[in-house]
Amino acid sequence: MANVIITGASRGIGLAIAQALVRDDYTVIAIARQETEELAAARQQAPESIYFAPFDLSEIDKLHELARELRARFGPIYGLINNAGIGTEGILATMPESNIEKLIRLNMLSPIMLTKYVVRSMMNEGAGRIVNISSIIASTGYQGLSVYAATKASMIGFTKSLAREVGRLGINVNAVAPGFLETELTGSMNDAQRQRIAGRSALQRLANVEDVAEAVTFLLSDKARNITGTVLTVDAGSTA
Amino acid sequence: MSTRSKIIQAIEEIAAAQKKTLAPLTDDLALTNSGLDSLCFALLVARLEDETGRDPFSESDEVSFPVTLGELIALYEHEHA
Ligand SMILES: NC(=O)c1ccc[n+]([C@@H]2O[C@H](COP(=O)([O-])OP(=O)(O)OC[C@H]3O[C@@H](n4cnc5c(N)ncnc54)[C@H](OP(=O)(O)O)[C@@H]3O)[C@@H](O)[C@H]2O)c1
Repeated sequence: MANVIITGASRGIGLAIAQALVRDDYTVIAIARQETEELAAARQQAPESIYFAPFDLSEIDKLHELARELRARFGPIYGLINNAGIGTEGILATMPESNIEKLIRLNMLSPIMLTKYVVRSMMNEGAGRIVNISSIIASTGYQGLSVYAATKASMIGFTKSLAREVGRLGINVNAVAPGFLETELTGSMNDAQRQRIAGRSALQRLANVEDVAEAVTFLLSDKARNITGTVLTVDAGSTA
Repeated sequence: MSTRSKIIQAIEEIAAAQKKTLAPLTDDLALTNSGLDSLCFALLVARLEDETGRDPFSESDEVSFPVTLGELIALYEHEHA
């Protein structure tokens, strides 16, 4: 079945996307630096449908070779989900320069460069889907996340112009903007804390990683063939 | 198939697929007058990388896009140093 590369697929949103895509009969190529127990378990359940490719995506000058290797090993790539990212916080005025650079390298430079090389396979096939994982922080302010926000907003600009560029070749490019999600992090909060966050959303709850994964599977499916250059927000209405 | 014929064939197929009218493919043809646009050239680079395993434009930062068809072919014929 169609090959989909998911970056940062070892846990969190990326793992949920991998599981949803395997269910929908895609072949998943999961990239992360280290395999987790959860990803290993998912692979054991579906050894023919999910592969792990260990790789440090901040090594920008090796991304071309990575794209070539994956193309040679798996054949044409139908989908690319740029999901890997870090969320380093910091007040800009005191944030170490190295942290700023790391954020920009992994969240912005790396997905752009990986896309540059993976999109070639899609161009050759005349078909493909790219989904960039942004964040609601790209368009709503949040103290301590200015650099992160810049990287996530960049993914939306990238999405729209690339959609224009490759649309003629049968390639759709979209972004998904998750809100604050129900994850291990929020799971460890007490009820009052979670209530307070959930209370700010229209639906009075938090979205979860599976909701984000379903948005991605939709964008990869034939049902979304006429959707490109858009941002799909999955936040239970917290920015409504 | 020689590198030259691979490139010519790829150009002809891309032009047909993208509904572009090609000028006669002589070595001194300026690529800007070939009938292909920049996206077509990107397609050509992608396709030749798939077929030849080479991408002369990423092999070095110094390579600028060739002006004529002959220069383009020479770039691919030239062995990777
Ligand atoms: N969670 C949220 O509430 C939320 C909200 C909005 C947007 N997002 C966005 O959603 C995406 C995923 O977030 P998440 O919460 O699921 O993150 P996460 O749980 O921290 O997972 C991050 C994934 O990226 C991988 N990764 C990190 N650095 C890497 C590197 N240098 N090379 C290769 N892989 C690397 C990690 O694996 P290794 O560490 O093994 O490399 C892991 O698989 C991010 O882009 C984030 O900005 C998340």
